[in-house]
Amino acid sequence: MTRRVVLVDDHDLFLAGVKAELGDAVEVVGQAGSVAEAVPLITELDPDVVLLDVHLPDGSGDAIINAVAPERPGVKFLALSVSDAAEDVIAVIRAGARGYVTKTISGPELAAAIERVATGDAVFSPRLAGFVLDTFRAGEQVGGDAELDQLTPREREVLQLIARGYMYKEIAARLHLSVKTVESHVSNVLRKLQLSTRHELARWATQHRLV
Amino acid sequence: MSLRTFAPSSDERVIAGVCAGIAQTLGVDATLVRLVFALLALAGGAGILLYLGLWAWAEGKRVWVAALLAFFAGCVLLGALGLSGRSVAGIALIAGGLALAWRQGGSFRPDAPLSYGGIALAAVGAVVLLSGETTSSKLLAPGAVAGALLLIGGPWVWRLAVERDAERTGRIRSEERSDVAARVHDSVLQTLALIQRHANEPRRVASLARRQERELRGWLYADHPLGDETASLVASLEAAAGDVEELHGVRVELASAGDCPVDGAVSAVVLAAREAMVNAAKFAGVEEIDVYVEVTEDAVGVFVRDRGAGFDRTAVPPDRRGIAESIEGRMERAGGRATIVSSPGEGTEVELRLPRGKS
Repeated sequence: MTRRVVLVDDHDLFLAGVKAELGDAVEVVGQAGSVAEAVPLITELDPDVVLLDVHLPDGSGDAIINAVAPERPGVKFLALSVSDAAEDVIAVIRAGARGYVTKTISGPELAAAIERVATGDAVFSPRLAGFVLDTFRAGEQVGGDAELDQLTPREREVLQLIARGYMYKEIAARLHLSVKTVESHVSNVLRKLQLSTRHELARWATQHRLV
Repeated sequence: MSLRTFAPSSDERVIAGVCAGIAQTLGVDATLVRLVFALLALAGGAGILLYLGLWAWAEGKRVWVAALLAFFAGCVLLGALGLSGRSVAGIALIAGGLALAWRQGGSFRPDAPLSYGGIALAAVGAVVLLSGETTSSKLLAPGAVAGALLLIGGPWVWRLAVERDAERTGRIRSEERSDVAARVHDSVLQTLALIQRHANEPRRVASLARRQERELRGWLYADHPLGDETASLVASLEAAAGDVEELHGVRVELASAGDCPVDGAVSAVVLAAREAMVNAAKFAGVEEIDVYVEVTEDAVGVFVRDRGAGFDRTAVPPDRRGIAESIEGRMERAGGRATIVSSPGEGTEVELRLPRGKS
């Protein structure tokens, strides 16, 4: 099934490039270059996946997610950015994006990432895995929800392997798990990242000028 | 409630309603105000003069008459309090000087011109006051002169300070701007020129663009400045990755969790990691290398991975010193360890691990 995709990016050249690279893998039903343009467009088109630039002229990607998500809970967001600033990336993920890939990603890889996000899985680039490991670093725990505030050793292991450049299939083979299990570990990490009120996360966010 | 809103009260007036008006404005009992004026009137008639002055002011027509009357009221009051004529004259001159400065809009606001007439008048007053010989003038003089100096000179000093601050801010800003310009010129424009010259070599163009992207991004988003590779482990690895990309036309994806400053042992890790990247770029036959650096409380870990050809360690001739010397030997001397996992067709991963001291 071809996924219906909306592209949100203010660089026309980049939009054209992405469209060309994706080819027939997905159906690009619309595109927008700003937060103000994107919110009504996405609400109207109700696509499967929105490819979202982290930085837009009139705001950041998380503003779109926050505005659209209550109206269209079925729309999945995948952040796509040249920005490597950890705080921007984590902000979009915390707002509800299902993953983050860098703009240097190849066409087929991007198509695969869109498919994975559309089916409800999470897409972590090595860089995002590094950011997440950084936010959940071992440290003293102060109150909060213990389950949400800590990564399990297995989740940590999976994230580490993603950061080291392993694909889900390779991770599964290495840890003697099924690919589905690896995917569910990653989705769990994403959920924790979005819901955790962990002391460490708050401190990290402050350090990185998030709050 | 400022006295500017003061108006004589026609409802409760006894003479001209001045006392009742003041009482209303200040929100106190009119009898109290009248008592004060009565007492002042006993002090050589100062209360009467002040009353007349306030009335003239409230009627809104005779402002300078009011000021003059209030002025005389003050002098009479001071005289009645036992000050010598000389002291009263000195204080009067200082007050007059300040009033003049005020009228010329000067000196009380930072941006106003200095009032030389006012200053001169106040100075004369100060001299008169200081040359007095009575006890009262000796007691009063230093305070009065200091106050006058502060009123006249203070705003001027303040203005100087403000101007200097503005100038400093401007200078910092223009320095920042030229810093940005220099960096954009040095790196971005250079790269664009190189790209134009090498337009026919896609690999070279890609690696140039990539290196520039990495540099610019490091400068824009990271905490370490461009060109300062020695600041931290991640920054050093980024620089090494950039070099490898440029020299060997591969892409290096660097992910990190944590960071630490570079000391002798850590710089050995950077060099070993660089060697591992170079090996991957040269022998693996892939476009992309993944590097992950992890800094925890007790160890630094760097992983260099490629999905390329791989190799059989036992088949590497012992005279090939790259791996043994540059990676394993270096790590051992630094107090760490290198683990190389590779097999033909499966790619290679080099793990560098360095325990961290509690230093």
